[in-house]
Amino acid sequence: MDVFGLANADAVLPGVKAGDPAAQEALYRAFEAPVYNLARRICRTTEDAEDVLQETFLEVFRSIGSFRGEGSLWGWVRTIASSKALMRLRRNKYRETDELQDDVTPLRREDAALRMDLEAALERLSGTSRAVVWLHDVEGYTHEEIATMMNKTVSFSKSQLARAHSRLRGWLGEEVPA
Amino acid sequence: MTHLTIEQLLALREPGLEPGVQGWRDHAAACELCRAELDRLDQRVARLRALPTLQPTRNRFAELQGRYRRERNRRRLLTLSLGGLALAASLALAVVFGPRLGTSPRAAQLAEQQELDSIISRSRQLESVIEDYDPDRRVTDGRTAVVAASLEDRLARVDNQLQLVDLMDQRVRPQEALRLWRERVGLLGALVDVHTTGATYVRY
Repeated sequence: MDVFGLANADAVLPGVKAGDPAAQEALYRAFEAPVYNLARRICRTTEDAEDVLQETFLEVFRSIGSFRGEGSLWGWVRTIASSKALMRLRRNKYRETDELQDDVTPLRREDAALRMDLEAALERLSGTSRAVVWLHDVEGYTHEEIATMMNKTVSFSKSQLARAHSRLRGWLGEEVPA
Repeated sequence: MTHLTIEQLLALREPGLEPGVQGWRDHAAACELCRAELDRLDQRVARLRALPTLQPTRNRFAELQGRYRRERNRRRLLTLSLGGLALAASLALAVVFGPRLGTSPRAAQLAEQQELDSIISRSRQLESVIEDYDPDRRVTDGRTAVVAASLEDRLARVDNQLQLVDLMDQRVRPQEALRLWRERVGLLGALVDVHTTGATYVRY
């Protein structure tokens, strides 16, 4: 993924560690778009994604002292953002019929011909499946890392990915007759 | 001929070798349908990665900074109130043991120390009220947020001054501490009013 202005983000790190508001804003502006994008791809609504953006940076400013520079700053921020987005997903699961989204109302055979676009198909996936697809295929996390973040097993992550791809393939009209 | 499942096709894209992967790879190399399916899978992942980056529609940085500042100030208040407790304890010791050491405090000094103890205690109570109210978890209108932020800034300044009191001349130290703690309690009281009643005009 193209990350805007991140090349210079490390330069403001000492200022952020010292609690300098201008440095905090520079860091926020550098990471705002990629963090929001990740959150929005995982969460169902823009409001949830905006909240995840806030919670991520609040945590970043609080914990920046513990960042030792062993990995990339973006990698560290991204892990916090993923964790916050997954927490939001879990919280909302109790309020919504998230997991039922693509199970109870499967597309009828004739609906498959609608050839949904990829954005719409991604939105239609259950929250968990969508999160696994995004974290694995786009953000590049391994199944082991996803399992740890979701507090699930590696098999769970793999099966969610397979299930998601199977559904995307059908909804996008990519199935090939055997 | 049995074709590869989606799980097997996905396994072919993973680094490392799961048991059976080599056999699946050989099959994909020989089977046109499975190779086409694998290509489609690769293309789908490439399309996912090429989706546009979504941007937030609202600029909420000021709100984020406000939250962070309130949280930091609360941490400082907590640290200071612990310091205040230590100060109150040392004053109490002076009151109890002072006369035995032959340095009998005058009545005015005693009254001053008692008032200081009482103010520090009141300060702690007000902090608890704010802590319980938890303003960060509540929806606040813009004017209330501005007034609250201004009070918190003034509190931070008073706290900084309190930290310097120990460096002052011993003769003026108690009066200065008392003045600052009074101001602190006044500001905390105003902050409680702003949060609990939504008051946007405070006298303090």
